[in-house]
Amino acid sequence: MDTLAHDPVDRVAAPATTQQLDLELRNIRKRFGDFTAVDGVSLQVGKGQFVCLLGPSGCGKTTTLRCIAGLEEPDDGDILIGGKEVTKDPPWQRDIAMMFQDFALFPHMTVAKQVGFGLEMLKRPKAEIVERVRQVLASFEIATLADRKPASLSGGQRQRVALARAMITEPRILLLDEPIGALDYSLRETVMLELKLLQQRTGISFIWVTHDQNEAFSLGDLVVVMNHARIEQQGPPEEILQRPATAFVAGFVQGNNIFRGRVKEVLAGSITVEMPVGSFLVPRPLAGPAPTPGTTVSFSVRAEQITDLVSEGHANRLSAVCTAVEYFGSVRRHVFERSDGEVLKVDQFGAQAARIKPGQQTTLGWLADASVLHRWADR
Amino acid sequence: MSTIRERSPASYWLAMPAAAWMLGVVVVPILLLIWVSFWGGRAFSTASPLTLDNYARFFANQTYVKLALSTIVHTATLMAVTGVLGYCIAYFLVMKVKSPGWRLALFLAFIIPFWTSTLIRAIAWVPFLGVNGVINQALMAIGATQSPIEAFLYSRTGITLAQVSLYTMMAAGPVVYMLNAVAPQWREAAMTLKAPPFTVFWRIVFPLTLPGVVIGQVLVFLNVMSDFATVATIGGNKHALLSNLVLLFYEGSQIRAASVVAVLLMICMLVGVVIALRVVDIRRLGAER
Repeated sequence: MDTLAHDPVDRVAAPATTQQLDLELRNIRKRFGDFTAVDGVSLQVGKGQFVCLLGPSGCGKTTTLRCIAGLEEPDDGDILIGGKEVTKDPPWQRDIAMMFQDFALFPHMTVAKQVGFGLEMLKRPKAEIVERVRQVLASFEIATLADRKPASLSGGQRQRVALARAMITEPRILLLDEPIGALDYSLRETVMLELKLLQQRTGISFIWVTHDQNEAFSLGDLVVVMNHARIEQQGPPEEILQRPATAFVAGFVQGNNIFRGRVKEVLAGSITVEMPVGSFLVPRPLAGPAPTPGTTVSFSVRAEQITDLVSEGHANRLSAVCTAVEYFGSVRRHVFERSDGEVLKVDQFGAQAARIKPGQQTTLGWLADASVLHRWADR
Repeated sequence: MSTIRERSPASYWLAMPAAAWMLGVVVVPILLLIWVSFWGGRAFSTASPLTLDNYARFFANQTYVKLALSTIVHTATLMAVTGVLGYCIAYFLVMKVKSPGWRLALFLAFIIPFWTSTLIRAIAWVPFLGVNGVINQALMAIGATQSPIEAFLYSRTGITLAQVSLYTMMAAGPVVYMLNAVAPQWREAAMTLKAPPFTVFWRIVFPLTLPGVVIGQVLVFLNVMSDFATVATIGGNKHALLSNLVLLFYEGSQIRAASVVAVLLMICMLVGVVIALRVVDIRRLGAER
């Protein structure tokens, strides 16, 4: 994966040819009345990739998924599955399966009937269906539930039945709409790991819609962050964590501090951004031209990159008052208030001795390279 | 949720007024009816001996037996026609009419005629079905027929037409209710499992709405079996079903014969309802979501 590409448009030009892709979206648009649900989404999914569509509710991720399934027809743009154009094809003619948010199990069918439904639709011989259902139920460890109806199943059991029902036809792509959102919190981690292993073993591409960044970052080969019907950024998890492309992504991903200011100077390797609370050095964009002086820009710094042990190398410095200290498992988070009233988060390992106390005025610093410049408006 | 426990003394006391009412206006009259149907002799007296003569007399008369059979055939026809038509209307209302405003408007258009009495609605068909009626004039205007068709009024066809219009909504109502409970994602899930639309309907939607169909059929069955008014007005005394026979005997002061027919009618209805309940357990309605 080309880690230099900042812009989704660059990524579309990635080397894979259409035939090698399981899925390609070309500039999909979908409107419901005056509301634009999906606005120019382009995406390429290679063979057997695990893709997570991540974003807040109403960002268009579910509509994008429904367009791929054929449950919605886009107003504009093309959808290719396995290199074949399917934009106008109905769901039952597409090489996909889908797992719904509340699993959508048929209430009047037993588990065995339910799981065999897809094969029945493919007109496979009865004996083959019986045998395949038996195998699949066994491999999902739900063989004992074969004659039960959905109403008598627990949440975890329903999830397995829904997954078995979708996987039995071995589709090219499995679409999952918040597939573990309905499960108890304690179950989620186990199920996530199982699904990841299942995906790797079967080589089926997964398109997983979620609003939970932990799911997206621990599962996805490719994470696609959406907001207001558009893709904000797509890339491998570490790229999105380390190099958020926009202020939205930086804000949506936990642990980023966002700074907004005006470009003062453009130097050889970096630019200076001027703000009421100070002037900061930010590296130039990895590709393309730098913003011209006077441009309004934003950049982000991860909370763990900021330290109170300021040394010579810390080009960027700032004075702030600690207002609270919170513990998140292995991390101790200090919440600071800058002189302009904005919040600044600083993370330290919980194992280190606590140095900063609430109410304390502290000078904080970070390396110039720790700042990540976002896309700016007039680029 | 009630705060009164099931089977507590309080719950029995609270059920008493309704139970007394039911006993007085339903149970006792029916028992009386059954008793009277077994009265022998000629006197209208509680001292009458109990015999099976009245029933024997009914079944000995070929005309009466044929009438009973034709009542069953007529009712079955009505159930089939209103069942199909009612399902189509319900499906259209729930699945095809997307705007809530239109749905309400259409629903009211279907329901409002039911605010008038059955008799009035039955009589309202007369100007439609007659020789110079609306239907005949329309048929002649479009050139479908040269002379008016007399088969509409005072005929079995006319009775069927009128009853279809009267009872279709009874078949549709419970289906509307059940269709509303069919979650869109069940149909979508079936589609993503490669089921084309008709298969989705046949394998998912129809089985889930079957209880509504059966309840609708029970309503139509009970109403058609007991509907003497439509048969009398549209049939013009040329046609009769079992319920008309009850009226006929009653008006002729043949109370025993009227009781016999009434009891037989009730038995037919009971058997019909029992069969329906064997197909679908109404108590579990809507519990499967």
